[in-house]
Amino acid sequence: MRAQLFIAGRQLWHRKLLNGIAVVGVMLGVLTLVAITGIMRGFQTKFLDTILQISPHAVLFDTTLGDTRPVVDQLLGGPSATHIVRQTSTDRQRRIVRPSETVRAIARLEGVSEVAPLVVGSAVASAGNKEMPIELRGIDPTVQDRVTPLRSHVVAGGFDELAGTVDGAMIGNQLGELLGVGVGDNVSCASARGERVVLRVVAIFETGVAVLDKGRIYVPTRLAQTILGRGDAIDRIEVRLLDPDRAPELTARLETLFHYDAESWQETNASMLGVFDQQNMITGMIIGAVLLVGGFGILSIQIMIVLEKRRDIALLKSVGYSSRDVLTIFLSEGAVIAVLGAVLGAGAGHLVLRMLRGLESASGMGFSRKSTFAIYERPSVYLLAFGFAVAVGLLASLVPAWRASRVEPVDVLRGS
Amino acid sequence: MTVPIPALEARGLVRELGEEVRTRILHDLDLVIAPGEFVSITGPSGSGKSTLLYLLGALDRPTAGEVLIEGIATSHLDDLARGALRAKRLGFVFQFHFLLPEFSAVENVLIPMLRRADIPGAEARDRAAAALGSLGLGDLLGRRPTQLSGGQQQRVSIARAIAHRPSILLADEPTGNLDTAASAQLMEIFEGLVRDGMTVVMVTHEPSFAARAHREIRLRDGRIVEVVHRTATAA
Repeated sequence: MRAQLFIAGRQLWHRKLLNGIAVVGVMLGVLTLVAITGIMRGFQTKFLDTILQISPHAVLFDTTLGDTRPVVDQLLGGPSATHIVRQTSTDRQRRIVRPSETVRAIARLEGVSEVAPLVVGSAVASAGNKEMPIELRGIDPTVQDRVTPLRSHVVAGGFDELAGTVDGAMIGNQLGELLGVGVGDNVSCASARGERVVLRVVAIFETGVAVLDKGRIYVPTRLAQTILGRGDAIDRIEVRLLDPDRAPELTARLETLFHYDAESWQETNASMLGVFDQQNMITGMIIGAVLLVGGFGILSIQIMIVLEKRRDIALLKSVGYSSRDVLTIFLSEGAVIAVLGAVLGAGAGHLVLRMLRGLESASGMGFSRKSTFAIYERPSVYLLAFGFAVAVGLLASLVPAWRASRVEPVDVLRGS
Repeated sequence: MTVPIPALEARGLVRELGEEVRTRILHDLDLVIAPGEFVSITGPSGSGKSTLLYLLGALDRPTAGEVLIEGIATSHLDDLARGALRAKRLGFVFQFHFLLPEFSAVENVLIPMLRRADIPGAEARDRAAAALGSLGLGDLLGRRPTQLSGGQQQRVSIARAIAHRPSILLADEPTGNLDTAASAQLMEIFEGLVRDGMTVVMVTHEPSFAARAHREIRLRDGRIVEVVHRTATAA
């Protein structure tokens, strides 16, 4: 190999400008891959981390699953000539029956880490002349904190006070700003079916997700049941898993076991995860296109060099170099260009990511806080970029290298 | 008494060119060149001189017939084996020097030897420098081809052809691009190599240079029409 590498190295150096252009092409491809992947996956990872921290991994709702056939069909035990013209809503309270037993049963399932029962409903919060529609959540603070760690998001007041008071409430920081209330202030809360209750703000939380921070109030379960007029009903059970990725599997099991509708965090955030999939696909296409352009750069430059060097190739073959040697020379050149481009691109990508990490980004896609760019930077991204660039470089130089190896010295010598 | 193996031997050599219309360049040609012989091949343009030389050097494959290099039949050898045979036993000098522009004079001479596993790097470099020195280029080892005159470039190409100590030197119109003085100098170099025991086969248009060979083979229309023997070079 010493001869082939010696020749390849010298030929590369001799055409610094042309080969430099090819290196820049590959470098831009790798830079794009590292930077775009870092930014896009950084955001996605941040989003998912936040979601998995503030949302349960699986939820069991009070909606029963079962026979969806018309009642007449069910009673007759077979198809009948029935047609539902209009269905009126029922006054019957929906609830999860025997919630304590259900919670204990779920807690015993494999892979389940924590389980919390709660009641959820819509209400209106008001303070002075300001009113805001909110989602009211009745929780057992200690148990709920194990499923969705709320304590870590408390920015004012005390989380433990929520459990110790009968009228305590924990509200989102943006909601507090909108209503003009802080810790120790009173907020009036009412729903369509329940009682109006005056709550005392004992804690303020900030998750960074706008929809939660300006639209959610946590109160003890009993208080929520009173405000929502739900009696002693529990209408939701939230579950935390040891492995969040297994949530779809568990929700299917919950539905089979309890005949209530269950939803995994992946289903809850399906639209966002779908957007991520599309983002990743578009990102992949952009990166692929940029790397292909880099590959075409190598291809065109190498073809030009091969055409220009036909006499040199003929000479090499006449003095004993084989077709395989010539192939090795030109493939080595392609590999060096690709590796050099990949290393420089990875370095430039790292610098770009480092620069972005220090920049403040505006919110978006549900995040309320201004923050620095969430950057995803792992060795695997660099390895992927490196492998992709070298593969493209080698593939691109394969055609010219093969053409070079096919040069018949006698054809060139006759022509000269 | 043992009969020496010929340096080069052509048996019933036929070469046709063209895909659809086949043109016969060489017609059933037989030739034997002894070790240490200096042979010139002459003839008008298109007579098949260069084609014969390329066949003798295993650079080309005959349509029919066989070429033996020091007794080794070449027609069935693959690309790799033919390359190895050329690298070890043959040296080539062409009308154009074909020096690689990226490399210095000594590196150009070195390149064929780098391919040889049996010649260590340091020895290859010594041999390259010695070959250039023997041709009066000892001071120009680091010069690039563009920094050399035409005569010097051709002498570097001769050094490249002989540095690995082949037994046979094949030269295709080596004086074609040289002035009279440089051509005369080159012929003296060839005669010196022959005196040292090397077999030299030279294609040339120049009658005075052809006449300096031990034997002149005249070709016309792909056939040997005349062979002129001379007992010693005219130098």
